[in-house]
Parts: sequence; C-alpha cells; structure tokens
Amino acid sequence: MDMIEVSGLVKSYGPIQAVKDIQFRVKKGEVVGFLGPNGAGKSTTMKIITGSMAPSGGSVRVAGFDVFEEPLEVKRRIGYLPENPPVYGEMTVESYLRFVARLKGISGERVSKQVEKSIEKTDLGSVRKRLIQNLSKGFRQRVGIAQALVSDPEVLILDEPTSGLDPRQVAEVRALIQELKGEHTIILSTHILPEVQTMCERIIIINRGRIVAEDSLAGLSNRMAGSVNVRIRVARPGPALEQALRAVPGVVTVVVADSGYSLQMSGEDQAVEAIAESVVHSKAGLLELRREVVDLEEIFLKLTTSEESQTPGSVP
Amino acid sequence: MRSVLVLSGKDLRNLFHSPLFYGIAGLCSIVWSGLFFAALYDFAHASNMSSMRGQGEGASLHFVVFARHISLVNLFMIFAVSAMSMRLFSDEKRNQTMALLLTSPVSATQITLGKFVAGLVAAWALVALSFLYPASLRSFTAFDWGPLIASYIGLFLITGCYVTIGMFASSLTENTVLSVVMSLIFNVMLWFVGAFSDTAHNPVLDKVFAQLNVGSHFVNFIKGTISVSSLTFFVSVIALMTFLTQRVVESNRWR
Ligand SMILES: Nc1ncnc2c1ncn2[C@@H]1O[C@H](COP(=O)(O)OP(=O)(O)OP(=O)(O)O)[C@@H](O)[C@H]1O
Ligand SMILES: [Mg+2]
Repeated sequence: MDMIEVSGLVKSYGPIQAVKDIQFRVKKGEVVGFLGPNGAGKSTTMKIITGSMAPSGGSVRVAGFDVFEEPLEVKRRIGYLPENPPVYGEMTVESYLRFVARLKGISGERVSKQVEKSIEKTDLGSVRKRLIQNLSKGFRQRVGIAQALVSDPEVLILDEPTSGLDPRQVAEVRALIQELKGEHTIILSTHILPEVQTMCERIIIINRGRIVAEDSLAGLSNRMAGSVNVRIRVARPGPALEQALRAVPGVVTVVVADSGYSLQMSGEDQAVEAIAESVVHSKAGLLELRREVVDLEEIFLKLTTSEESQTPGSVP
Repeated sequence: MRSVLVLSGKDLRNLFHSPLFYGIAGLCSIVWSGLFFAALYDFAHASNMSSMRGQGEGASLHFVVFARHISLVNLFMIFAVSAMSMRLFSDEKRNQTMALLLTSPVSATQITLGKFVAGLVAAWALVALSFLYPASLRSFTAFDWGPLIASYIGLFLITGCYVTIGMFASSLTENTVLSVVMSLIFNVMLWFVGAFSDTAHNPVLDKVFAQLNVGSHFVNFIKGTISVSSLTFFVSVIALMTFLTQRVVESNRWR
C-alpha cells in the first residue's frame, strides 16, 4: 500500500507560485529524498504533507487518510522536523521531549520509555538536563530529530535533518536513518547530494516547484548513462581528426574544447576503444584520453539548469 | 481535554520558571501593599472622626478600603495580563514552535483552550494574591464576606476578559511588543465602548451601549450584587474572544 499519496499539489504565496502540480507516491517503509536548489519548494511541500499549511490545490493522503478531512488521524502518524527545530529554549531536553510525547498522545506509562528511546537514538544523554537555549546549534538540531522520533511515528518528514551538524554527527544521523529504514516511511529533504546517495532508495528532484526527475539512484544513473563523456587532449588538433571522431560509431557530439575535444557518446567501452584507435591512427599526438563518469551532481545540475533555460523568463 | 491540559501545563511550567511572572507579582504586591495600608489608614482616620462626632457607623470598610483596592487590582491586571499573554502565541510563532503545535494531533480549538487555561490560571493567581489583603483583615475586624466575594467574582470575570483579549492580540502577531500594545488598546476599547451610551441619542442604541458598559457591570459586582445580565456580559466577552482566537489559530494553516 502507498503510505503517502500526493497529487496535483499547488501552493501560491500571493503572486509567487512555490509549488506547481507536484505528484508522487511513497510506499510503506521507503526512504525518499527530496533534492533541489534553494527555493525549489521542498519545505513548502513538506509543510503541506504534515498539515501545518493548507495548499492552494491538490490533495495529500497519508496512510489512506486525507490530510484536510481527517487531520488528526494523519498527525498521529507523522513525526516532523521543520527547517528550524521547534524547541522551547527555557525547557530542558528531557522535559521538552516529555511534553512532545504527551502532546502526540503517548499514554502516561509509555512516555518515559519513548523519551529514553529517542534520547538514546539521537545520543542526547549527556545534555538531557541542560536548558535547550544553552545548547549548540548541532545539539538543538538533534533535539529536533529526537522530537520527531519520540512518538515512534509511522511516517517521518525530515526537512534538512543534517543541517548544522558536524561531519561526525552527519554520519551518525545518516546511520540513524539507515536504522529507521524499514519500520518507518521517511521523506527527507536536502541539497547535499552524497546524502541522498547514501540514505535514500528513491530520489525526487524538485526545481522551481515542479518534479523534474523521480527515480531510484540506479535508475537516474542509468538514464544518464547515454551521456558518458570522453575528454581528449592532442598535440596537433585539426579538422581531419574532428571528422574522424565524428565518424566513430557511438559518438553523439564533438565539441572543440581547449587543445582537444569533448565527446558526448551513447556507446559503451567499444566506442571508447574506437576513439582511441582513430586518434592514434590520425597521428595527432594523443596526450590524454579521459572518461568522465557522470555522477549525481551532474545529473542534478543538468536537470535543474535545463529546466531553468526552458522557462520563458530566463530567455534573453 | 488531556491535550488541553498538556498544552496549558507546558505554558504554566515555563511561565512559573521565568522571571517575568515573579517580576510582575513582586511589583504588584509592593504597590498593592502600600496603597492598601494607605486606604486602611484613611479609613481608620475617618471612622475615628465620625465616632468622635457621634455619627454612628460612618464609612464602610468595604467601600473605603476594599473597593479602592479592587479598582487598583483591576487597573494593574490590565497591564499584567497584557504582559503575560504576549507569550501565549507570539512566542510560539517567534520560536517557530507553532509548527510543532500545528502538526501535533490537536485541534485549533484545543490549542486555543490550552492557551486560555494557562493565561487564566496565571492571571487568577495574581487575583488570588490580591485577595489575601482584604482577607487578612478578618482576624482584626469583623466584616461581611458577601460584598467582598461578589467583588472578587467580578474581578475574576473581568480578568478573564483581559486574558482572552490578550490571547487574541497575541495570536495576531509574532511581535511581542506589538502584541502587548494591541492588547492594551483592545482593553481600553473594552472600557470605552460603554462611554458612548449617552451620545447616540437613540433610545435603542443607548440601551445597547449601556449593556456594553464594562464599568457599570463591574460596579454591580463591587456593590455586592451578582446580576444575570452582568454575568452574561462577561462570559460573552470571554467566549467571543476565545472564538475569535480559535479562528485566527485555524487560519495559520491558510497562509
Ligand atoms: N511564507 C512565505 N511567503 C512568501 N513566499 C514564501 C514563503 N515561504 C516560502 N516562500 C517562497 O516559496 C518558494 C519555495 O520555498 P521553500 O521554502 O519551499 O523552498 P525550499 O526548497 O525549502 O528551499 P531551501 O532549500 O532554501 O530550504 C521560494 O521562492 C520562497 O521564496
Ligand atoms: Mg527548505
């Protein structure tokens, strides 16, 4: 069953359309990453899913309940970490978590157990009696994560869970999310690519309020496999070589780059071999032949920048 | 109901852990003490004079001392409640904790009632503190409890109005200073609506404004009479402001 179903979601802030027709589904136990540049509409989409903001159009269902018709049923099942951790500075970590647990409807005797569990998972034991206002940003972020976990919700919505954390804590949070995988359905947003690479099974790339790609990590890489790049540097470039390169099967485009060529190709290793052969054969003096692997970063840049060039406003 | 108590418990806990409440309570008790004993001195003086002249009972303890004390407490509550109620919603919005409340399995009505209960308990704690002054005189002199208790029922009710007005102001903005200022303005407006009662030159409107006159309703309580119309008036103001706040909280989602 699909745990989260979002369809036709639209949200305008006055004249600004922050989200334009977003549509996706998340299966139970899946970890999905929202990826997108600043202002793409990731946080807005998350706010709507959690019910803290009403959309201008479209619908959201969580565990089969409509967010607007049965908000309480949905909210019982969701743990949410907003962009800014929603903490009360004047409370201690422990009393704050106890408050959130009760607020989420955890019954009396289970409160302590749940609080202990979330403190342990987020490694907050050393600061449990400290006032939250005296904690560093990274610790406050962890309190925010603990708060989302404390009711042991089926669905976790985490808006930039690793922001403000040091590298070791980032690794810990990633490990934590790996651990939560399976029992919880998780949506997390980030603009850090390695993060989705390590944590998410599926990636949704959002740009300017629209989904520009939605696939598994492997799927995205495969989709881009047609655009393997080969860079060649030669001692004596010339039109003859260029002709020869164009004739190689599998080469899609040849771009003259500084003292060499950049080839975009659709073929496999045989094509690379053929290129090497033809360069050597032309006696242009091969200095360098480098295969550029397209990684997620490039896919991301490609998707988000090509979308931009399609919007009429940016055409000069 | 449980959610309402969880929410108000959190607010009260935080308020009673903050210097704000003790600052206000301290300031109030200093001023109230000074003026209460000044009134008592005046009363003692006046009743000495009248008994020397052989004019019987003389001034009543209730009207000379207690009524003055109660009006003073009323005046202080306008400011104290405005200062305390700014925390109710403005602080939540400023701290971004409103998102936590709005994504928890509680309704806008429960959130509003939680804030209302917290504000009411804090304000009534101050009113109860002020009750100690007249009550402590009981060990020195006999007086009739009736009018005093009626006055305090009035004081509790009017403080309830201030709480809901402050809560409403607080729900409108995340700026705490603006919230206090708006609360003060709304409270002053509450007191001035009745002042139009003689200006309308229309018997029906005059009656309406007279019904909306907070001062005259409050004076009824001080005189020791608890009338249905006065009770209805205060309870209506409290219910109306709570309802308006609930609408504003609900509308937070729509922005
Ligand atoms: N309260 C608001 N009022 C007006 N515009 C808003 C508001 N909140 C967001 N926006 C606009 O909506 C768009 C999407 O914002 P959103 O916060 O969803 O982006 P995001 O993908 O989370 O970005 P980031 O990576 O910076 O967190 C932006 O253009 C932003 O300026
Ligand atoms: Mg964001």
